[in-house]
Amino acid sequence: MPAVLTVDPRSGVPIYLQVVEQIKRSVALGILASGEQLPTVKQLALELTVNPNTVARAYRELERDGVIETAVGRGSFVRRDGDVDSPRVAAEIASDALDVALREARSVGLNADRVRALFETALTRWFTDAAKDA
Amino acid sequence: MSTITISHLRKDYGGVAAVDDLTLEVPDSTVFGLLGPNGAGKTTTFKCMLGLARATAGDVRYDGQALRPESFERIAYVPERSTLYDNFTVNEHIEMTRRAFRAFEPARARTLLEQFGVDSRKRVRALSKGMKTAVMVALAFSRQAEMLVLDEPTGGLDPVNQRHVLSLMISEAAKGHSIIFSSHQIGQVERAAERIAILQHGRLILEGLVDDLKADRKIVEGIAPVGGFSLDGITSDSRVARCDRTERVVRLLVIDGAPEFAQRLAQAGATGIRVLDMNLEDIFLYAVSPADATTAVVAQELAP
Repeated sequence: MPAVLTVDPRSGVPIYLQVVEQIKRSVALGILASGEQLPTVKQLALELTVNPNTVARAYRELERDGVIETAVGRGSFVRRDGDVDSPRVAAEIASDALDVALREARSVGLNADRVRALFETALTRWFTDAAKDA
Repeated sequence: MSTITISHLRKDYGGVAAVDDLTLEVPDSTVFGLLGPNGAGKTTTFKCMLGLARATAGDVRYDGQALRPESFERIAYVPERSTLYDNFTVNEHIEMTRRAFRAFEPARARTLLEQFGVDSRKRVRALSKGMKTAVMVALAFSRQAEMLVLDEPTGGLDPVNQRHVLSLMISEAAKGHSIIFSSHQIGQVERAAERIAILQHGRLILEGLVDDLKADRKIVEGIAPVGGFSLDGITSDSRVARCDRTERVVRLLVIDGAPEFAQRLAQAGATGIRVLDMNLEDIFLYAVSPADATTAVVAQELAP
């Protein structure tokens, strides 16, 4: 499982948040199965070469959000009755990316009509082509 | 417990303060990164911590205790410059360290030296700067020391061995030990340190958890309308740490509340508003460089 995690320490996004986001995403996409054991804090810290307290903070956050549970002496596991709603998380990922694009579009001075036209073009390129390929 | 506490430390050289009223704490299980431009007082701080220089004022405590001869069983120090004996081999240094420190594990030292690619049969004078650093690091990390003070512990090392040193620090923190280190390579500090302090001219100018500093500090940028605009009430807000202006671009460094300031800049007539994350290098550079102008002056210039 740890192979799917990567962090970019040079990013302005806190490392613990990067770990939280990626584990949520992995659970939502089924890369991490329900009930699957996570590496220990020390293992993941060494794997990513980041501070153990940073990993511990990410795990605490995931626990609070109902994504994982920790049993003393046994380790941390993806919750079986977890709160991760896969379609919702997928929508959130897409929605965040759209927000970034729209903020950028507005900041360079495009109006809503122009943005809508661009969106339609992109939608056709990504979705119709995919349908043809299938 | 293995907490290092520095309280109101001051060190004068010829009437000039190299370290000026420095107070910080390195809790156990923590990797603490000390950053600062050349001459900021990092090495002087370490020397005062280790009894290699006498503090003019203030003190340093290890687990609440002042430095005593027996403290050195629990503290390991890697100096910035080699203090190895040029005419002795690395193996002889292992033997010297074994005789000096009861908890020293020669087998571990040999394993680490092998991982660093050091030929232990060589005399120190035949080693490169990086290999000398590797020898000092290997010896320091084989003493079961609970508190490690490391002055540029990756100096001269190649990227693979640099990463290796970071992993050693991380393992020690996971054991509950406390580590304070300095490095000019901010990327390493950003990766391995949980908490950082930035020194400038001997003074502490910023301290905190790396992740919290990143979460709180944002740059809010906007383009001023032609003819200027008033930023009164924005630049005077205590959360605006500074305001820089280049050409027509206004850049606010805000501590907390970035979305609110983005909105306020827009209401003031700015366009092209962006909120930018800051990595540790950005945070460092902003902390050590003066603002282009004081916030008051900028506010005046921008007033219509």
